[in-house]
Amino acid sequence: MWKRTLGERELHFRLAGINNQNFLMRDEETGSWWQQVTGKAIFGPLKGQVLELAPSDELTFGLWKQESPAGKVLAPVAADERHYENNWEPEVQKLPTPLNFLGSGLRSRDVVVGLEVGGASRAYPLNLLSAEAPIQDRLAGTPILLALGPDGKSVRAFVSRSQGADLELFRKSGSPEWMLVDSSSGSEWNFQGCATARPAKGKCLERLPALKDYWFDWRNYHPGTSTYRH
Amino acid sequence: MITAVQIGMKRNNLVPGLLFGLLVAVSVGLFFVPAFIIRPFRPQSPAGLTLAMAVRQQAPLWSLVAAGAALVLAVVLWGRTSAWKRILLVLGVGLASAAAVMTRVDYFEWMFHPVAAPGFESAENVKLDPAQMVMAVRFGSDSRAYPIRAMAYHHVVNDTVGGVPVAVTY
Repeated sequence: MWKRTLGERELHFRLAGINNQNFLMRDEETGSWWQQVTGKAIFGPLKGQVLELAPSDELTFGLWKQESPAGKVLAPVAADERHYENNWEPEVQKLPTPLNFLGSGLRSRDVVVGLEVGGASRAYPLNLLSAEAPIQDRLAGTPILLALGPDGKSVRAFVSRSQGADLELFRKSGSPEWMLVDSSSGSEWNFQGCATARPAKGKCLERLPALKDYWFDWRNYHPGTSTYRH
Repeated sequence: MITAVQIGMKRNNLVPGLLFGLLVAVSVGLFFVPAFIIRPFRPQSPAGLTLAMAVRQQAPLWSLVAAGAALVLAVVLWGRTSAWKRILLVLGVGLASAAAVMTRVDYFEWMFHPVAAPGFESAENVKLDPAQMVMAVRFGSDSRAYPIRAMAYHHVVNDTVGGVPVAVTY
């Protein structure tokens, strides 16, 4: 998700094509071509410009509604709703991929959660994440937390550092509520990354943009990416 | 004498005839080459993609020029050609014009219709399975969710959230 402004100028984007299964868009204002996944103009008058990332989440509707009870939901376009696919993931899995990266240990359509920190990038296979979460890792010297929400589907990434100290976080067991506990202080953290119990109460972890993507697409745009293993 | 004139006219038709064919080919190519390169489920090389975008950028102007010139040539040739060649002229002008129209059309939006003006429902009222995934964004107190079942079809939605213009892409 991108902010569609360049300086003072507002842009409007339209679907315009496809590049190795990642879509291209053109802005109505200049006709420049933009790569969806990078937010970068790759051709036309605005070539080289990059859109600013709009911090966003991929969540289940149930979890989002709990967090944002006063929020608004995009209404389906009545004339197009018959084309919406509720169970599209298994269908997409069957589609061929234009690029394949051999020797990666991952299949092209494996879903990964991709992180970029300090110029380094790493792919976390979703099936591994689902089995092991919360995952704590280090990327470019930064302590990372990848958490799987109480719904078992939503993923968020944080810098697992608070007040200058790296945290070691565990799922709180025997609690009906989803909570992470840090081993040193005993503070409890919710899925929004905020401490709900003393001593860190009120503090929130820094959020990291996490992109859910197919391995081939992530690898194509992050040629130097590493892959998380056990 | 008459024979000589007829031969002369035939020779005169050869060059404009070839030029006509070339103009039709140019107009069709201006549409077809980028459409062929940018087709789903096929790899696009960086060079191929750049060519496709460059051609699409220039195609609306040049396909119109080519189709217009082909039409002028067809009119010129009309009085001097046989009936079956006139069919070729009509077909050629038709093809060149169709290509000129297609270079102006975003045919990707034929398959995935754009959202003209995004409408919204309150989180309370919307009927959506709680397990369905959404893309979520919040600016200030304005919190919005875009169901992926809709985003996987439309791919891009231009919206403004809490005063911030955003392009929701999937």
